[in-house]
Amino acid sequence: MTPFPLRRNTLVYGATLLLLAVFAWAGWANWEYRQQLAERQRAGMAQGELVPAAAGGTPQYVSPLTGKAAPAFALQDLGGNKVTLAGYRGKAVLINFWATWCGPCKIETPWLVELRQKYAAQGFEILGVDTEADDAKPGSDAFNKDKAEVSKFVTQEKMPYPVLLDGDSISRAYGGLDDLPASFFIDRSGKVIAATVGLTSESDIEDYIRKALGE
Amino acid sequence: MKRLADVAIIVVSSVALAAQAQVLGSPPQGRSIVKTDAVKYLSPEQVSLPAGKPSPVALHFRVAQGLHINSHTPSDEYLIPTDFSIPDGAGVRLDAAQYPAGTMITLPADPKTKLSVYTGDFVIQARLAATPGNHLVQAKLRYQACDQSQCLPPKTITVPIDVVGK
Repeated sequence: MTPFPLRRNTLVYGATLLLLAVFAWAGWANWEYRQQLAERQRAGMAQGELVPAAAGGTPQYVSPLTGKAAPAFALQDLGGNKVTLAGYRGKAVLINFWATWCGPCKIETPWLVELRQKYAAQGFEILGVDTEADDAKPGSDAFNKDKAEVSKFVTQEKMPYPVLLDGDSISRAYGGLDDLPASFFIDRSGKVIAATVGLTSESDIEDYIRKALGE
Repeated sequence: MKRLADVAIIVVSSVALAAQAQVLGSPPQGRSIVKTDAVKYLSPEQVSLPAGKPSPVALHFRVAQGLHINSHTPSDEYLIPTDFSIPDGAGVRLDAAQYPAGTMITLPADPKTKLSVYTGDFVIQARLAATPGNHLVQAKLRYQACDQSQCLPPKTITVPIDVVGK
C-alpha cells in the first residue's frame, strides 16, 4: 500500500473514532445528569411535593407519610385543652389542615361536618388543625386574635369536631406543604392510609374515610 | 493495522450506540415540581417626583397564570385583601392608593359564592410624596393567592422602587 492512501485511511479512521467517542461521552453525560436529577427529586419527595400529572391532569400530592405511622402531636383546642393524636388510637381519624382565609377549606367544611355525622358512630373523628401561617405563638396577642377569629368561624360553620390551634408548629412533620386544605386519613392503628392536598370531592373524602375505618 | 482500526471502530460504535440508547430509551425519571411566585412586581423601577408634592405613580403587578389573589375589597370578611404599603422612614410617603376593581369569579365546587379577585396584570394607582434626594424604597405588597382548588399562605413581597425627589 502506498503512503498517501495509508495516511488518508488513517485520517478517516481517526475522524470516525473521534466522532463515535463524542457520541459516547454525550450519552454518558446525559445519563449522569438524569441520575443526579432523580436523586434531587427523591430528596425533595421526603418533604412531600406537588407533582404535576400528565398534561392536563390534576397535580397529585405525594406524601412520604402514606403507609407510615402518623406523626404524634399535642395541640390546644379552642377551650385551651391539650389534645393529642395518641388519644384517638383505635379510631379512624381525618387530620384536616385548614385556615380561615382559605376559600376551598370553607367549601369542604360542610362535607366534613356531614361525613363526621355519618361515620362518628363507627369510630371516626375529625381533627381540624387551624394553620393561619402567621407564626403566632401561643399566648401572644396575635395568637389570641387568631383564636378569636377561628372561634367565630367555627361557630358560623357549625363545626362539631375538635378544632386545634397552632397548626403551623406541626405542618413540617406532616410534609411541610403550605397549600391548604391538606388532609391525612389515619386508620385505627395510627397509620396514614391516604393524603390529599386541595379540594377534592365529597365522595373521594368518603372513600378515604371508609378505607381508614377498615371497610 | 486495518483490522485493528476496524475492531476499534466496532467497539467505540457499540459503546456510543449503547450510550445513545440510554438517552432515547428511558423516559425522564421525574417531573418538575410546582413552586410558584404568585405575584411579581413589573414596573416602574425608578420614578422622579417633585419633592414634597404627592404625585401619581402607576404600579404594575402580574399574577401568575392559573392563580388569583383577593382584591383589595374581598367578598368575605375572612379573606385577606391585597394591600400596598411603604414603611415609615423611607423618605417617601404613600399619600393614597387606588386599587382596581376586582374581577368576580366563582370556583367550580361552589358556583354560588362570588370572589372578588385580581388575575393577570393589574395596576395600583399610588400617590407618592418624596423628600428631596434619592430614596431606594422597599415598599410591600401583601396578598393571598389560590387556584381553583387550593390556597397558598398569605405572603408579603418587597416592591423595590428608586424614588428621586427633585
